[in-house]
Amino acid sequence: MKKTVIFLAAAVAALSACQEWQPVFTGEYKAPASYEKVTLEPTHTLAELAAMYNQGNPLTFDWDSDVIVAGKVSSSDETGNFYKSLYIQDETGGMELKIGKTSLYGDYKPGQTIYVKLGGLTVGVYGYKALGTFNGKPSGGSGMVQIGYMYEYLPGEEPEYETSYMDATTIIDSHVFRGEVGEPVVPVVLDENDLPGRTATLKDCPYLGKMVTIKDLKYDGRIFTLVYVNSNKDHKASSNRIFLSDTDYGVTTWAMSKNKFLENLDKGLFNSVLIGNSGDYNYGTVYDNIETVRRTATAATVSQYFMKGNTEVVIRTSGYAKFADTEIPLEVLQGKQLVDVTGVLTLYQGGIQITVNSLDDITFHE
Amino acid sequence: MSRKLTLAIAALLCSVSLLAQEYSGGVKGTVINRADKEAVAGATLVLYQGAVQVASVSADQDGNFLIENLKDGMYDLVIDAPNFLQTRVNVTVNDGYVKNMFNLSMTRVKQISEEDADDMAEFDDEGGYNDNPTILFGQNDVFNNIAGFNFSNVRFRTRGLASESQEVYLAGVKMNDALTGYSPFSLWSGLNEATRTKMSVSGAESSDYGVGGVNGLVNIPGTASYVRKGWRGSVLTNSALYRLRLMLSYASGPLDNGWSYAFNVSTRLGGNDWIKGVYYRSFGYYFSVEKKFGEEHKLSAAFMAAPGQRGAQMAATQEVYDLMGDNMYNPNWGYQNGKVRNARVRKTHEPIAILKYDYTPSERFNASATVLYRFGKNGYTALDWNDAADPKPDYYRNLPSYFKYENDDLQRYSEIKAAWVEDSWKVQRDPAVTQINWDRLYNVNRDNRDAYGRARSKYVQEERRTDQRDFNIAGSMKWRATDWFTLTAGLNSRINRTEYYKVIADLLGGDYFLNTNNFAERDFAAQEARYQYDLDYYFANGKAQVLGVGDKYGYDYYARVANLNGWAAGRFAVGRFSATLAGKLGYVGFYREGLMRNGLFAGVWPSGGEIIDPVSGQTLTSYDPKTGAVISSYGKSAKANFFVYTAKANLEYLIAGHSRVYANIAYLTDAPTFNKSFISPRTRNTLMSGLTTSKTFSTDLNYQLALNGFNLRATLYYTTIKDQSDVMSVYDDLQNAFTNFALTGINQRNMGLELGFKVPTPLTGLSVQGVLAWGQFIYTSNPRLTQTVDNSSEIVLENEVVPYWMSHPVSKKDASGVAILDETGNYVLDYHQKHYVPGTPQLAASLGLSWNHNYWFIDLDADYFANSYLSMNPLYRTDASTAGTDNVVTPEEVEYMAAQEKFAPCFLMNLSVGKSWYIKRKYQIGFSLNAKNLLNNKNVKTGGFEQNRLVDNTQDQSRYYRFDSKYFYMSGFNYMLNIYFRF
Repeated sequence: MKKTVIFLAAAVAALSACQEWQPVFTGEYKAPASYEKVTLEPTHTLAELAAMYNQGNPLTFDWDSDVIVAGKVSSSDETGNFYKSLYIQDETGGMELKIGKTSLYGDYKPGQTIYVKLGGLTVGVYGYKALGTFNGKPSGGSGMVQIGYMYEYLPGEEPEYETSYMDATTIIDSHVFRGEVGEPVVPVVLDENDLPGRTATLKDCPYLGKMVTIKDLKYDGRIFTLVYVNSNKDHKASSNRIFLSDTDYGVTTWAMSKNKFLENLDKGLFNSVLIGNSGDYNYGTVYDNIETVRRTATAATVSQYFMKGNTEVVIRTSGYAKFADTEIPLEVLQGKQLVDVTGVLTLYQGGIQITVNSLDDITFHE
Repeated sequence: MSRKLTLAIAALLCSVSLLAQEYSGGVKGTVINRADKEAVAGATLVLYQGAVQVASVSADQDGNFLIENLKDGMYDLVIDAPNFLQTRVNVTVNDGYVKNMFNLSMTRVKQISEEDADDMAEFDDEGGYNDNPTILFGQNDVFNNIAGFNFSNVRFRTRGLASESQEVYLAGVKMNDALTGYSPFSLWSGLNEATRTKMSVSGAESSDYGVGGVNGLVNIPGTASYVRKGWRGSVLTNSALYRLRLMLSYASGPLDNGWSYAFNVSTRLGGNDWIKGVYYRSFGYYFSVEKKFGEEHKLSAAFMAAPGQRGAQMAATQEVYDLMGDNMYNPNWGYQNGKVRNARVRKTHEPIAILKYDYTPSERFNASATVLYRFGKNGYTALDWNDAADPKPDYYRNLPSYFKYENDDLQRYSEIKAAWVEDSWKVQRDPAVTQINWDRLYNVNRDNRDAYGRARSKYVQEERRTDQRDFNIAGSMKWRATDWFTLTAGLNSRINRTEYYKVIADLLGGDYFLNTNNFAERDFAAQEARYQYDLDYYFANGKAQVLGVGDKYGYDYYARVANLNGWAAGRFAVGRFSATLAGKLGYVGFYREGLMRNGLFAGVWPSGGEIIDPVSGQTLTSYDPKTGAVISSYGKSAKANFFVYTAKANLEYLIAGHSRVYANIAYLTDAPTFNKSFISPRTRNTLMSGLTTSKTFSTDLNYQLALNGFNLRATLYYTTIKDQSDVMSVYDDLQNAFTNFALTGINQRNMGLELGFKVPTPLTGLSVQGVLAWGQFIYTSNPRLTQTVDNSSEIVLENEVVPYWMSHPVSKKDASGVAILDETGNYVLDYHQKHYVPGTPQLAASLGLSWNHNYWFIDLDADYFANSYLSMNPLYRTDASTAGTDNVVTPEEVEYMAAQEKFAPCFLMNLSVGKSWYIKRKYQIGFSLNAKNLLNNKNVKTGGFEQNRLVDNTQDQSRYYRFDSKYFYMSGFNYMLNIYFRF
């Protein structure tokens, strides 16, 4: 009996001696160390990387490619105006990094140097359209080179984009590396002469994709926004598209949240707008479909048109930005006040766009 | 073996009387449990003279028996009762007197209930999944004893009823939670010795402590004289729950000076073999004193608590379990500096203080009164975050299925990304991916500097508190008015004030957090007042409250509950018949009192005036779109008042001394519980509409036999419950807010049979034992659903019938599985598929061998479980969900969306071995080893829930898809080894 009892006691002792005692004894956990700041040697500047891309041919780097670029983070998605991606810039230009996560400003700080290993990633263009004319004005032009992931699509389908978001943590963490957090980037103040032409690339305009300041913009009384009859349905079908363009429709905010859009819709601001792509207005008016539009309404991104001298500059604001529904001052709308704006400079189909980090980046003066 | 355990009854034998008269002699006495001195009801007593059986009777509910018409002489009295060792005593009847044997004590076969009644892993209750034991251990019943031990692994529920339906009393006070009705075992878990003595009834029987419900009642006396006398200590290791349990107790037993005292302390520590992150750091303490004043008065006091921490487990989808190759994967933890840290920890310290007075003026009358107070803290930690990515490792966007789904309609085509993600889960098993990445949370927090250089945490660990103050008074009496009539009656009252709130438990490397509503901030970015959790603070200070560790935030409200019950039961016994009629009348009232004014539901000023935001000029007061009533987070809600009653009849007929037939019938009404009565208690005072009492009808018919080691109980039961309500609250990342589903009018019907038996074999000490529980537990109504979102006063769904709740139609298909249309173009109904009440196997069977010899016991059991179902969410059974985006209902959609998952049946084996030794007749030392799931079956689903969400971004825009369901699995092979000593 004695042996049995001793054996059992030893068994209990052995079985209960395990490694998970930490929370049991203390309940305390030491704070983890800060991220180790990575330093890598870039092989290419952003402009050199952009130059590797040939229009219409997204460039996917081999797994073992040793191409590395680096840049400082200029954008912040804190207010929601940037979404799922961030902009980095070096001396030669700026570029969008399509990370695919939300609330990125917590993980990648403005002013922080980011290193990107391109092996396995894809470089492609968003917003390119062949040059042409539209309503007697020049249209089309360059878009922006972006770093993202290969765009996968079903066999037999047309790819919608040249790149996709990286999305997966494991892809992001094996390609995007955090370096030192430095001072936020200093915006370059641009004159009208410095602004890119319709077909500009980083070769001829080093400010593309960078944080810039453009002063003395004058309101031009036009917006551009694309909404849908049924936002759950095909966004490419002409019969589902509603273009609000060429006038202001009475939209006096930087963008429209869902609530603001519904408010404007119910005011009748968009009732007479024809549905369909340009030249294909065969689907009636918004008013004809107002129940569907209302039921499936979402926030609407708005481009507000301004003029820098004789050059068109669009301030583009997401409907999901916290400041989307902020009113543009009446004096600005009436042309009595001018606007100074600081934001990321991009081209979309040759048109100049500025996207701001927050409303603090837009100031007004006589 | 029993022969060696001849009981020390000699001292109890009475002196012999003098008067002589032939055949007027007899024998009487009371059969009691040696351990706790409680009556053993229904024990069988067979009297022999030499080898001739002279008489056979059963002890009544109080353990009393009487055998009359005996000649003077020597007799052998053999006593049998389920789960007790057979006891034999010699009886001499002299001079025609009825010999009073007083107390005849019996010894339990073995102590199988070394497990704590709440020894279940702590499960997360998000998604409406709750877990509580529902078999009352320690009952003198062959079915409950076997089922209680063998079926607990698969969360078997007796008669398919929720744990709330079982009434648990402590010192005569009903302890089921005032707010949820849940059974309260966790309040004294680890205090096994202090709470070992239990008196219980099953089904719809009535007890001495209360009329009870339809699923049994157990009373734990809990005071010093009920704790087994002497020192007891044990050391235990359990591979499924905790590494080590240490327990020590001492009870004085009744001393000559009238005092008794007892204490019990214990600790349970460590993790387990199966579920990482689940750990115990639990303690228990119990002290009690009792003083008897003469024979009539007794005063007892007890104080106990089971403070501690337990890491929780969370359900996951099958995709995640498969990726990890482990059905016991737990997403709740992550490595922090190499140490396992669980984000979700239950932290409790809820003491109970008891003062009890017993009055026993005569053998025929006794009464008692108890004052009981429960207080302290009950916290549950979880991660909270503000404008940051969901930190849960198994968040659906972190899984391969988010990138690639076999059905192209879901537009998830990214095979390469899916492969990356799959690789990181399945091959790399990178804990930064598969578990919580604490390093990242700390770094994000530390780097999030404001203009003053202080770090505003984006992620924090919150602690959700449910701090109760529960005051109870209960009194009961028992009066044996005549030999054929006994009256029991009682009154009880409860006043409960529970504060629900959150505090910051850990800033995770940051300096502060703000008391603002991130979700509302997104919707009302321009109106700062609207996204304040504490609007009054904001108005007073002009900014949101800056929070540090320990600060209340988010929500803060009182639940105030009061109830009062009176009950009585009369027991009539005539010959072999006995009948009990019992009834209860009661009142339940409750309301919510908001203490923190939420900017979204600001209510009105005390003056009644609307609240206007001075900054935006907007009116913050909002009104119910239906009733026009002010929606307020602050102040007192309307009061919900309910009158409830119970009526019961129990009938019993003794067929012979050793068997009885009994039947119970009961009808009762119950008030809805506080936690199922408000549409969104975190944010507002709004009561659900259509709240009403639930109505339960139950009847059962039973046969019980105990003779010569044979034990049998067979039961048929039928129960209906109508008008139940339920509330589920789920975080919906599409709405970016908690979505609340309130259901009313849920009806169910539970019927079935229970069979338990134990049959001796010719081999000494060896018995065959088994149980069978077969039932059909179905829903019998389509309830009404109201859906709200925490962030808005909008009512998403208003009191709409859920048409596919109790069943869904299945239409006829052709050979290729395409639904057939009739000549009018309509689908052809094939049959209606019933939906079942989840949470338990509806078929459970066990067959085993039990061997008891020479202080050894060995039990080997094989169990089979089937007909278990996943709990349903109401959303998938609505018209809107089955119609899809195109608003066209097809049989495919209904059959896909409304179907209920049935779990695969399973087969398990368990083994128990034990032995004890007596040393110098004074000390006892022993061990027991319980090995469960010998076949190491790791594929047994014990529960889970459907997510309350739909996939709607599809290619065709014609239908919705479900989110994957989440499951809990039973642990594989596990053991519990217990070594104990007593002296």
